[in-house]
Amino acid sequence: MKKIQMIKNQTLSLISTKKIIQMSNVSTSYDSKNFVLKGINLSIDRGTNYAIVGQSGSGKSTLLKLMNGMMISSNGTIKIDYVVPDMNDKKFKKMMHTIGYIPQSLGLIKNITVIENILIGALPRLSKTQSLFKRFPEHEIQEAKRILKLVALSGKENRKVYMLSGGEKRRVAIARALMQKPTILLADEIVSELDHVTAHEIMDLIADAQKRMNLTAIMVHHDMQLALEYANRVAVIKEGEKILEIGVEGEKIVDFQTGDMSAEEIMEMYNDDSKK
Amino acid sequence: MMTPKNNIVIGIIIALLVVASYNVDANPIEFIEGLPNLAIVVEEMLLVEPKYVPTAIWAMFETIQMAFIGTIIGFAIALPLSMLAARNLNSKYVYAPIRALLAAIRTFPSILWAILFVIMVGLGPFAGVLAIIMYTIGFVSKLQYEAIETIDSDPMDAVSSIGVSKWQLIRYVVIPESASHLLSQLLYMFDYNIRQTSILGLVGAGGIGFYIINYIKFFEYGKAAVFMLVVLITVLIIDWISVKIRDKYIIKSQHGMEVTTK
Ligand SMILES: Nc1ncnc2c1ncn2[C@@H]1O[C@H](COP(=O)(O)OP(=O)(O)O)[C@@H](O)[C@H]1O
Ligand SMILES: [Mg+2]
Repeated sequence: MKKIQMIKNQTLSLISTKKIIQMSNVSTSYDSKNFVLKGINLSIDRGTNYAIVGQSGSGKSTLLKLMNGMMISSNGTIKIDYVVPDMNDKKFKKMMHTIGYIPQSLGLIKNITVIENILIGALPRLSKTQSLFKRFPEHEIQEAKRILKLVALSGKENRKVYMLSGGEKRRVAIARALMQKPTILLADEIVSELDHVTAHEIMDLIADAQKRMNLTAIMVHHDMQLALEYANRVAVIKEGEKILEIGVEGEKIVDFQTGDMSAEEIMEMYNDDSKK
Repeated sequence: MMTPKNNIVIGIIIALLVVASYNVDANPIEFIEGLPNLAIVVEEMLLVEPKYVPTAIWAMFETIQMAFIGTIIGFAIALPLSMLAARNLNSKYVYAPIRALLAAIRTFPSILWAILFVIMVGLGPFAGVLAIIMYTIGFVSKLQYEAIETIDSDPMDAVSSIGVSKWQLIRYVVIPESASHLLSQLLYMFDYNIRQTSILGLVGAGGIGFYIINYIKFFEYGKAAVFMLVVLITVLIIDWISVKIRDKYIIKSQHGMEVTTK
């Protein structure tokens, strides 16, 4: 007998303090003609490991850029910790350091060292003179070294980033985000290009950091299998619409839109979609 | 390809060339008739007067110092202006007026700046240094802001999303990402400014050109030759040194950047 847990997300109160990210009826476009996201509703609890899965071009990266305020939605409302994300807004700008964002390209600075890249995560905590003269306080340097160890890069702190392997670069990007002391981590397909073993190493690392720091992680994946393996919740995006959202409890998968489904059935459904 | 359209374009260019040559009195026959004069100059130049070598070297040293000060100060003033002129860092209301100002500065060749400063501060190397500073600001700022605009937008976006200030973004992303270009521009500018400073003496703004123009005025080609030879050798040496520096530091870091994009 499968233990079934119904998730009544539509009826959950929007004022619950558990909610860290709320999107209601969000649509957006790059050219004010073709909507790349259409009527997205999302509600993410604090501490969740949330996955967004979909084919390329379905709008996953756009969704993350809306969450970190790099883009502003055309319609609907978005709240991150009850603040509307907009990087030109003073109130949101003050809380941007609590959102760690790792783009698909990682966004590292290639010709400086690993430790210098990681310390960039501490910049919002520095005074003007400290940042002008690159005077990072001792406790920040210690923190960077601690995180360096956490991501298993000890001993490589003085390597230039362009000399690192793909897996190592991802560790640096994660470390920079963790250096921000974030409450939310947004990661865009950061394991898609890695081999199976390395991808799992990176995902384990994030799962570990997430537990330690009580992070809410929102990760975009191409691979449904990987999403089901690590996430508590998986949203499937297709052509800008959320077609499915599933809760994952260990091996058991609970769907609140279409009724109970097994992992195999979900995989089948997703594979059918990605073939089209 | 010789399409009819290309033929018309080539025809127009040739026509313009003929008209322009007529207007400026460019006459190949005069050029050929003038060649014997060149032979006389060369012959007299061969009577190099070695006892002027120390003076020439000293004058060249002064020239290099002028170029050095002018390049460094001009470059340092240009850098913040370039940050304001870069389209990827500022709104239109900031970059447009700064670009207009820089374009205006750029319209003056260094020799005109030199004349202006000789009138302002009098004859001598100081006027030359000021001229080099102004010329460097106009010229190098364009190279700088173009380099800044070609920076990869991914690290800029990623670091902006941390919530850093604009100055932190410049200090920690823009400068490191464009450092190899900036260093290469600095070397190029110094190299170029040594050549320019060598002729500023023509209008009395100091440097080795002052000696050259005076000896030529009095037909003392042998003495002028010493000074010109020193300029030639110096320029070759500086060229060689900057190629070495470029190979050692700049090519290496750019190569590193290419490796990561694969
Ligand atoms: N900067 C942009 N300008 C215009 N269209 C864009 C831009 N970025 C993405 N798009 C379009 O938006 C759609 C969704 O893109 P994206 O969010 O990157 O999808 P995904 O991350 O799922 O691959 C695609 O059709 C893409 O072509
Ligand atoms: Mg994407």
